[in-house]
Amino acid sequence: MSSTQSSISRYSARRKDGVSRGIRESIPERFAPYVYIAPFFVIFAIFGLLPLLFTFYVALFDWNPIGDHEFVGFANFSRLLGDSRFWNALVNTLGIFLISTIPQLIIALFLAHLLNHARLRAANFFRMAMLVPYITSVAATTIVFAQIFDKNYGLLNWLLSLVGIPDINWLATNYGSWVVVSVMVIWRWFGYNTLLYLAALQAIPRDMYEAASVDGATGWKQFQHITIPSLRPVIIFTVVTSTIGGLQVFTEPLLVSPETGLTCGAARQCQTLALFLYEQGFGQYAFGYGSAIGVVLFVIVVVIALINFFLSTRMKGGQ
Amino acid sequence: MLKKHLLTTAGLVTVFAFAATGCSSSDGGGDGNGELEFWSFTGIGQKDDVDKYLADHPDAKIKLTEVGSSQETAQALTTALAGGKVPDLVLIQGEDMPKFVENAHNFVDLNTLGAGDIEDDYVPWIYGQATSRDGETIGIPTDAGGLAMAYRADLFEAAGLPSEPDDVTAAWSTWDDFIEFGEEYVAATGKPFLDNVSTSVFFATVNQVSEQYYSPDGEVVFDTNPQVKEAFDVAVKAYEAGIGAELPAFSSGWTAGKGKGDYAAMTAPSWMLSSFKNDAPNTEGKWRVVAVPGVAGNWGGSYLAIPKRAENPKAAWEYIKAMQSPEAQLAKFNEAGSLPTTVSSLAAPDMQEYTDDFFGDSKIGAVMSDSITQFQPFSTGPDVGAIGTGLMNALMTMEDGGITPDKAWDTALSNVNQALGK
Repeated sequence: MSSTQSSISRYSARRKDGVSRGIRESIPERFAPYVYIAPFFVIFAIFGLLPLLFTFYVALFDWNPIGDHEFVGFANFSRLLGDSRFWNALVNTLGIFLISTIPQLIIALFLAHLLNHARLRAANFFRMAMLVPYITSVAATTIVFAQIFDKNYGLLNWLLSLVGIPDINWLATNYGSWVVVSVMVIWRWFGYNTLLYLAALQAIPRDMYEAASVDGATGWKQFQHITIPSLRPVIIFTVVTSTIGGLQVFTEPLLVSPETGLTCGAARQCQTLALFLYEQGFGQYAFGYGSAIGVVLFVIVVVIALINFFLSTRMKGGQ
Repeated sequence: MLKKHLLTTAGLVTVFAFAATGCSSSDGGGDGNGELEFWSFTGIGQKDDVDKYLADHPDAKIKLTEVGSSQETAQALTTALAGGKVPDLVLIQGEDMPKFVENAHNFVDLNTLGAGDIEDDYVPWIYGQATSRDGETIGIPTDAGGLAMAYRADLFEAAGLPSEPDDVTAAWSTWDDFIEFGEEYVAATGKPFLDNVSTSVFFATVNQVSEQYYSPDGEVVFDTNPQVKEAFDVAVKAYEAGIGAELPAFSSGWTAGKGKGDYAAMTAPSWMLSSFKNDAPNTEGKWRVVAVPGVAGNWGGSYLAIPKRAENPKAAWEYIKAMQSPEAQLAKFNEAGSLPTTVSSLAAPDMQEYTDDFFGDSKIGAVMSDSITQFQPFSTGPDVGAIGTGLMNALMTMEDGGITPDKAWDTALSNVNQALGK
């Protein structure tokens, strides 16, 4: 503790010295820090902010990318609110979000707990292995899972048939297709979240657990009163990132049923908002309508992120 | 101090460099050496064409890019047309053509380069699909998607049904006969007859009309045109007859089912025939190819177009003229099986007598060529793709068990109306 403090005071002393010298410094030198961080902001402005603002603009038009651009005001938005395909996509997105995020985080927490076990051999191997699904191409994963869930020759239906359950056409129904997409999302992200939890777990001092054992706390009590509170900031972080990611699920539903193109099923069973946006924008070339969907998706993500933020600050306050 | 200065300057330079590239990337600009930039999709063998052209024209320079699937190529083209560097030559699939024809101003009107001189070489209705209402022609057809029905002669025989191509053709001259034939097969074997009714029935029937989704004056009439409803009802009837295996085209069960006898018949456009050999090598000699009931049909086909801002439109046109002449198309058919779009090559003996041992003694060439030449032309419009998909999706939902057959047409109408924003 004391060494940290002394280094801070030394640093600030040097800083003070630097500031006093700074008056005599040339202008380029004073601006140097801004210049060094500028590439990010410049690139973000060009490739992030500008397209974002342009999307808001395009959303007010009937915009054919290779034809006419006709100003229509808010007509795209009013059409969207009356479009059952939009509500369907919204429900699908929320459904997939719920059944992918919640089990995923619980599995990750559980696995992190196991990986943190003191007596685990080859722990690093298992920790690294967790990341393999995350670094595997989504397209490859999707093809494999699509085969597992295939109606006629799928591994899963074959296993189910062994216990007498008839073939299930997973992709034919809403719930079935949500499960297929969610399993793929979980598969991709659980390792990433596990490692985040594991890092946080390793930061919990062992003596807290030892002290709790001395006081007679069981494993579950320890988990409840030491592990969970210590992980709270990381849990909040993973919930926020999973929410933002979960609301934008795109590749899995795009690739899971290639025979129906961009709708993820003939009745749009698993078409998410992001995929609906893509279908309208790049399937139908209705850029204006697609942009309107993008704006609405943006608003939804912001609202849910704000709710998350509100809940998490309350959680912190309760600590 | 000097070092610091240098670093600062380097930082500034970096920023300006980023800013500069950010601004200038849209200029494009040609190097003027006449290299032909050619965008194609994958799996259609344009590389062979390019190599052949270069062998005959040693001075020409062509840079072929296989962008991705046909849809991805059309997307890349759309983005490029909207404001980027366009290719000199681009291959567009038939399904994507209406959108581009509707916005023909993005392309060179090939009539200005002399398309009128070669127009008569091509099958009129195929050529016409690349021509706008104002008479601009934006594409030359490279290949057609002649439609036929493929069936398993061994399974038909085992079911006690006719199995020789001529007998089978005679047995299902109409769609009603076809469905009846299927019912007999199912009754005899207890197995599905057809892969599915959405692509194998509807895709064929809806193209055997004199008027389809658009009236000749460009009105959307899919919901009031009785011919569309009839075509749709044939598919519903086939489903109700229980002859389908409900395997959507290109799904994994469908691909695997080809070799496993999960179904005994399916429509097969000309470009699909080669995939039989990959998907079901064990069925060599067991499949036959005959006409679909009603004979006419088309699924697929592509066009070569020249974007308006192309740097070398003349060189691109020379390439098209050389590689899409009747002789070149016939040669390509002989080498790669790509179905020609020129009248004389479709009638040529090479074409008419073409067979393939994998499909026994089926007269593949004659069957494919008939499906193209007997096709009745009808008007199309910008939303044919969206309308077709909406109707097709209703049938697929029915096959998935999502809706009952009596709801299929209403679902189809609402699918399309939503897509059209009505």
